[in-house]
Amino acid sequence: MGDDHRMTRRSVLGALGVLGASAATGALAVPDRATAQALGAQETVDAGLKRVFGGRPIKDGGGLIKLDIPLIAENGAVVPVSVEVNSPMTPANYVKHIYIVADKNRIPIVTRVALAPEAGQAYVGANIRLGETTDVRAIVEQSDGTLLQAKREVKVTVGGCGG
Amino acid sequence: MTRAATRLSWLATLLIAAGCATTGSDGNDASSVPSWTTRAIPEARGDIRTLPNGKREALRYAGWAKTDFSRFRTYAYADARGEVPVQRATMPPGVTGDPKKGRALFLARAKGPCTGCHLIPGDDVWPAGNVGPDLSTIADRRLTNDYLYQQIYDPRLIFPQTSMPPWGATGAFTPEEIVHVVAFLQTLKGPPPPEKDADRNPATRPKPVGFGDNLDPTNNPAVLLAEGAETQWNAKGAAGKACADCHAGGADAAMKGVAVRYPRFVARYRRVMGIEDFLTVHGPETTGTPLPSESDANMNLTILVKMASNGMPVAIDTQSPPARAALARGRAAFYRRVGERDHACADCHTPEKGANKFLGGRFLVEVTTGMTRHFPTWRTSQNQVWDMRKRMQWCMTPLGTNMLPADAIEYAELELYLTSFDVGKPMSVPGIRH
Amino acid sequence: MSDIGKVRVRIPSSIKAGDVVRVRTLVLHPMERIERDAQGKIIDRKYNYITKMTVTYLGKTVVLFDTTQSVSENPFFSFAVKATDPGQLKVTFTDTAGGRYEGTAEIKFS
Repeated sequence: MGDDHRMTRRSVLGALGVLGASAATGALAVPDRATAQALGAQETVDAGLKRVFGGRPIKDGGGLIKLDIPLIAENGAVVPVSVEVNSPMTPANYVKHIYIVADKNRIPIVTRVALAPEAGQAYVGANIRLGETTDVRAIVEQSDGTLLQAKREVKVTVGGCGG
Repeated sequence: MTRAATRLSWLATLLIAAGCATTGSDGNDASSVPSWTTRAIPEARGDIRTLPNGKREALRYAGWAKTDFSRFRTYAYADARGEVPVQRATMPPGVTGDPKKGRALFLARAKGPCTGCHLIPGDDVWPAGNVGPDLSTIADRRLTNDYLYQQIYDPRLIFPQTSMPPWGATGAFTPEEIVHVVAFLQTLKGPPPPEKDADRNPATRPKPVGFGDNLDPTNNPAVLLAEGAETQWNAKGAAGKACADCHAGGADAAMKGVAVRYPRFVARYRRVMGIEDFLTVHGPETTGTPLPSESDANMNLTILVKMASNGMPVAIDTQSPPARAALARGRAAFYRRVGERDHACADCHTPEKGANKFLGGRFLVEVTTGMTRHFPTWRTSQNQVWDMRKRMQWCMTPLGTNMLPADAIEYAELELYLTSFDVGKPMSVPGIRH
Repeated sequence: MSDIGKVRVRIPSSIKAGDVVRVRTLVLHPMERIERDAQGKIIDRKYNYITKMTVTYLGKTVVLFDTTQSVSENPFFSFAVKATDPGQLKVTFTDTAGGRYEGTAEIKFS
C-alpha cells in the first residue's frame, strides 16, 4: 500500500517535472525529474560515488577548490558549507557541476549544483544536515569532464544538555 | 556567658528571626508575591499527570523528556524544601568494581555523562567538557577507593561549595554503579596518550563561532517568520478591535522603546511581567484575542514588539522598591540549588564555576555578558523560535527538576535579574543560536 | 507550518554592470525526510522535501541546485551570478509534494 501510494505521487510529479523542463530554456538544460529523484539515495558513500561518477577518477583538487566548512559543528542540523572553485567560467572552460557529499550521512549525496558560464563564478553555499562526525567533500566536474575533490572532517557535537 | 556575649547572641537571634519571617529557605521575602493562575498552553504549564498504570509523568512539549522529578526541589517560592541532605557514604561490601562497566557508565548520556564535565583519554571521548578537572591521570594521585566513592556519591561532604552533583545521594547512580566507576578511575594512570587532536581536549578546543547575522532574513528563519506578525497586529479580535486600533502608526513606530523596559513590575497585576506575560492578560482584555504563553500568536507578537526596540539599550527599572524586591528574589533564584543535580543557574553561568568552559560540546555563557537581549531566539538545533521562558524550562531537564508554568512569577523575576546584566546593551531580536 | 514556501532573496545593495554578485536565498520549509525502519523499509507517512532550486536571470537558467534530504530544514543556498544587464533574478523551489515556491530580486545598477 505504501509503495503504491508513492507510485501515484511519482507519476503526478512526473507531469509537473515535464512542464518545468520545457518552461526553463537557455543556459542550462534542466535535468528530468527522474534524475533529480535518484540523486539522493540511502547508500554508502562508496556506492553513491560509484553510482554518480561510474569509475571515473576523482583527482585531488585541493589547490583549486576552497571548501569552507566549520571544523566543529555546534549541531548537525544546520552546518554551513561553501565551495569556491578557481575557474575562468568561460564557455570553453567552466565548472559544470559542484557536488557536496557527506560520507557518513544516511543519504551521502547532499546536493548537485549545475552552473552555466553566466554564473560568473564557481561559488555555491548551502546549509546541510550531518548525522554524525564525518568527512564532507566538494566534488567538482569541469566542462572537460575532469573530476576534482577537496574534503574536510567535520566533528558534530551531538545533543546537548536537556536531552 | 558574659553580658556582652548575651547581648550579642540576643541581637543575633533577633536578626536571624527577622530574616526568617519569610517563605522559602533563601531568606527573601516572597510573602507579597501573589499566586498566579497560569495562562500558558497545556504543554507549557508544568503539569504532572498520573497514567493509568499509576506512573507519574510530566506534561511537556513534544519530544521533551517526561520524567517526573517531584522528589526534588523546584524553583517555586512556595517550595520550602531544602536541597538533598549531604550524605556520608561507604562502599558497599562484596561488589567488585569492573573498570569496563565503569568506563561505559562514565560515557553514558543517560547518566551524566561524566564526560560532560571531565576529560578522560579515548578517541571515542567526544565531546568532553572542562567544567570539572581533567581526570586523565587521576589514578596517579593515589586516592583511596573510599575517597573516590564519597566524591561521586556526595562530593559536598568533601567540597561544600562544589558544583558536582551528589550522584549517589539522589539515586542517580546506584552504589554498585559507583563502585564500577571508581574501579575505572583507578586505571587512569599517566602519562596520558599524546593528544592527536586539539579539538578533543576542551582546554584547546576553539570557541563556537555562532550562526552569523541574526537580523539577515536569508540567515535567520525567525526574521522571515516575524513578518507574518504584522498581519496579527492589524487583525480584529473577538472584541472587534485590533492592536493597531489603540497603537497607531504601525507596530514598529508604536512599540518603539517599549520592550527595553521589560520585564517590569506591573502594579495592576502585582507581579513582574515580561512582554510575553503581559500579552497573556492584555490581549483578552483589549482586542478579545487570547494570547496564551508559548502560543505562536504570543511568540510572534512578542518578537514584533521587541524588534521595534532593536538597537536601543535595555533600560529596565532596577531602582523602585518592587523592582528591588523582585531583583533580590530573582538573584536568589539564580543561586538556588534545585533538582536531582542539585544545581543552580550559577553553577553553569558564573566564571567561578562553569562559565567560559565547555559542558560537553556546549560553551557556557557568563551571565554578566547579558543573556536576554536576543530573546526570543531562533534555535538551529530545534528549528523553532524559543522565548526566554521556554529556554528556562528546557534547562529544567538537566537540572532534574519539574518545570514551572512558562508565565510563572518565579521565572519572570529570574528573567528580571538576568536582564539587569543587559542594561545599556542594545536589543537585537530575534537572535539565532544553537 | 503555514509559512511554508516563504522565500527571501538577498543581493548586494550596490551593483555595477559586470559585477559578479553573490546571492543569498532562504526558503521556509520543513524538509521532512522519508522515515525508514531498522530494516530500511519505508515507513508510510507523509514526507516533503525540496528537490530543486532553479535560478533564472534574464530568462535563462544560470544555476540549478538538485537537492536531497541531507539539506537542512529552512534551506539556505547561495550562489554567484554575473550581473550583465538590469533585470529580474528569480529562484524557484520545487518539493516532493508538488509545491512550487518563488522569490525574486531586481538587479539594478547604481
